[in-house]
Amino acid sequence: MQEKKDATFSYQFPDGDRRLAFSRQSSFRHWDPPLPSPSPSPSPSPLLRSHSFKPYLARSDSTVGMPLLEKPGQKDATWVALILAAVRGVANGSRPMKRLALMISLNVAYSMIELLLGLFTGRVGLVSDAFHLTFGCGILTFSLFAMGISRKKPDETYTYGYKRLEVLAAFTNALFLLFLSFSLAVEALHAFMQDESEHKHYLIVSAVTNLLVNLLGVWFFRSYARVNIVYWKPEDMNYHSVCLHVLADSIRSAGLILASWFLTLGVENAEVLCLGIVSVAVFMLVLPLFKATGSILLQIAPSNIHPSAFNKCSRQIASLEEVLEVSQARFWELVPGYSIGSLSVQVKKGVHEDRILQHVNGLYNDLGIQDLTVQIDYK
Amino acid sequence: MERHNSPASASHSQVIEVNIDIDRDASSFPPISNPSPTSNNKACRGGTCDLSYSKDSPERWDSMRKLVIAVVLCIVFMTVEVIGGIKANSLAILTDAAHLLSDVAAFMISLFSLWAAGWEANPRQSYGFFRIEILGALVSIQMIWLLAGILVYEAIVRLIHDNGEVKGFLMFAVSAFGLVVNIIMALLLGHDHGHGHGHGHGHGHDHGHGHEHTHDHGHNHEHEHMHSHGHEHQHEDQDHEANTIPTKHQHDHSHSNDMKESLIKKGNKKPKRNINVHSAYLHVLGDSIQSVGVMVGGAVIWYKPEWKIIDLICTLIFSVIVLLTTIKMLRNILEVLMESTPREIDTTQLEKGLCAMNGVVAIHELHIWAITVGKVLLSCHVIIAPDADADRVLDEVLGYIRRDFNISHATIQIERH
Repeated sequence: MQEKKDATFSYQFPDGDRRLAFSRQSSFRHWDPPLPSPSPSPSPSPLLRSHSFKPYLARSDSTVGMPLLEKPGQKDATWVALILAAVRGVANGSRPMKRLALMISLNVAYSMIELLLGLFTGRVGLVSDAFHLTFGCGILTFSLFAMGISRKKPDETYTYGYKRLEVLAAFTNALFLLFLSFSLAVEALHAFMQDESEHKHYLIVSAVTNLLVNLLGVWFFRSYARVNIVYWKPEDMNYHSVCLHVLADSIRSAGLILASWFLTLGVENAEVLCLGIVSVAVFMLVLPLFKATGSILLQIAPSNIHPSAFNKCSRQIASLEEVLEVSQARFWELVPGYSIGSLSVQVKKGVHEDRILQHVNGLYNDLGIQDLTVQIDYK
Repeated sequence: MERHNSPASASHSQVIEVNIDIDRDASSFPPISNPSPTSNNKACRGGTCDLSYSKDSPERWDSMRKLVIAVVLCIVFMTVEVIGGIKANSLAILTDAAHLLSDVAAFMISLFSLWAAGWEANPRQSYGFFRIEILGALVSIQMIWLLAGILVYEAIVRLIHDNGEVKGFLMFAVSAFGLVVNIIMALLLGHDHGHGHGHGHGHGHDHGHGHEHTHDHGHNHEHEHMHSHGHEHQHEDQDHEANTIPTKHQHDHSHSNDMKESLIKKGNKKPKRNINVHSAYLHVLGDSIQSVGVMVGGAVIWYKPEWKIIDLICTLIFSVIVLLTTIKMLRNILEVLMESTPREIDTTQLEKGLCAMNGVVAIHELHIWAITVGKVLLSCHVIIAPDADADRVLDEVLGYIRRDFNISHATIQIERH
């Protein structure tokens, strides 16, 4: 029933392979939960599961569930061991992961320096910038964590695997960017009302450094530096969100630099103008990503399949002579590239179900629905 | 994506119509035809497949009413503070007013999520709009985190700008006022909890369940639930002090409530809260905790103006406490969004029970996941013996899942080998 058992899931989509944008073949190259082969013996073998790992995100009774280490039976993980595991995970990770880790460490180091400088010299602007950076770093760390953990095989509690976490990380990034744009708008309003034009010269240095670091990040993820992207794999969403994050940050730094340059030129209300433009730009930048991730999390029907295709399939099935009715067809996307569905088919009595199952599965597999559960009711 | 409507088709030889007379909601549920055991549509008992709140769901209106009252209160207090702050020309009061504004924003998000969850499901959004609740709660909690960060930042700014501008007394007074406001709202949002969803819970989730029990022919079902009803009824009464629901109504709901409780979890009587009201409650709770922190800091600065760093330390500690309160809810949200098996379902018992059935050889591809906290779906492939009756096995499996685990939406694919 599931023809594609592609156990090796390739991370690196060939660069610049946009010509596949129209074809549906690539949707078959996906992560497939390993199907156990049904046992031929009639004796009831209770649980056919080929994977029996301990769940990675364990449900312990403590209030904060800490991720277990690789070794089974090691209950309490010390902080040092956790950090070592994290470093090991990153070192074995894919290239984007390493780049992201590098960027995060750069950002963290930079924000630490800024915070200490700000505290000791008493400059509030530096402190606020450091806070902002730290928040952004936290979100990026969550993205990194999602990248690392998404390779885990599905287990008992997370039956669909961990790939959803990437979508969630992308959503969190998008949300953070929305908050950022909102706060920039508030700041612009504040500057407008206060009408203060203090030349924050010491902020220029920090803004330039920030800009450089973020531009490095944009360069790392340059293939995702677009607003509207077709998502083929879950990592696409995550990388796109990271790229938008650093892009938005660099736009903000550039805006600050521009604003202070205009102020030195003597342009009135330069700060308000620049901040306003930056806020609007970030908002427009992040909106498509927010909508796409939101629609996956809300379990909206797969966006890459037109609704008329669903209707057509449904009609095709209903047109079979044994089939009386097709009902409760529901489809949703687990991650971009992997869609799941369930439907209920009523047939006349005495019909053998294999034929119908094969036919229905074939129809929906052509659409791109990999995982389908069909309930056959006999009248 | 045709929906199967419940009125029986003409091909049924025997149709028995039973009108269910539940007190408040006679209008919202159409009369259900009593299907014979080999019924037409196994997939969905009850009128509208339960994937959207029925329009008159009392639980939903209750929660919305509470949130609206909280919003109104907040706006009133906020205007009072803004006026007072402008008159007294104090930045601290205005900052607190801005804080209340963020409260209003959080309540608006919760209100919107609650309202949106009642929209009818459509083919594009085939599971209804319940997930919006979860996303709204996630946004709320992110806001709480953001506000905690902002508060810590402000404490640091206060530390840096130490040119005598910080008036300990003013900080103390403003935060005390904020604390009183927050406590009032916490009581409003939290107190009615036991009352509100005691019957809402039974109603919203289990009405189909309750119907089934009155229809099923097996008399052992009746026996079972009468027994547990009698047993649990007193228990229910203890839980809800402010109990103004007529007892007949309570009777209907408590028994369907208990069915689930007594079969799944022994002794865990914690009823489910609406997640949006709960997240608004968390927001208010976090605010009161932080108000306490600022009060302590203000008192210290008032008493000894040179110990300014105490303010920062206090704020840090209390912010961490606030974040800790949100962790549990964040974990729940994360689990639902990751489509993981809900905690209250015991998977091993389910699998064992299924495999122990007649005719079932094995099961695989079992997926249990939740749309929102409390609404669980299941899909699975069951392999049966070559000579077994697929229809009968399907009936049994669906019935078992519905009875014992209260999962109303199960899709089972039967295969033979």
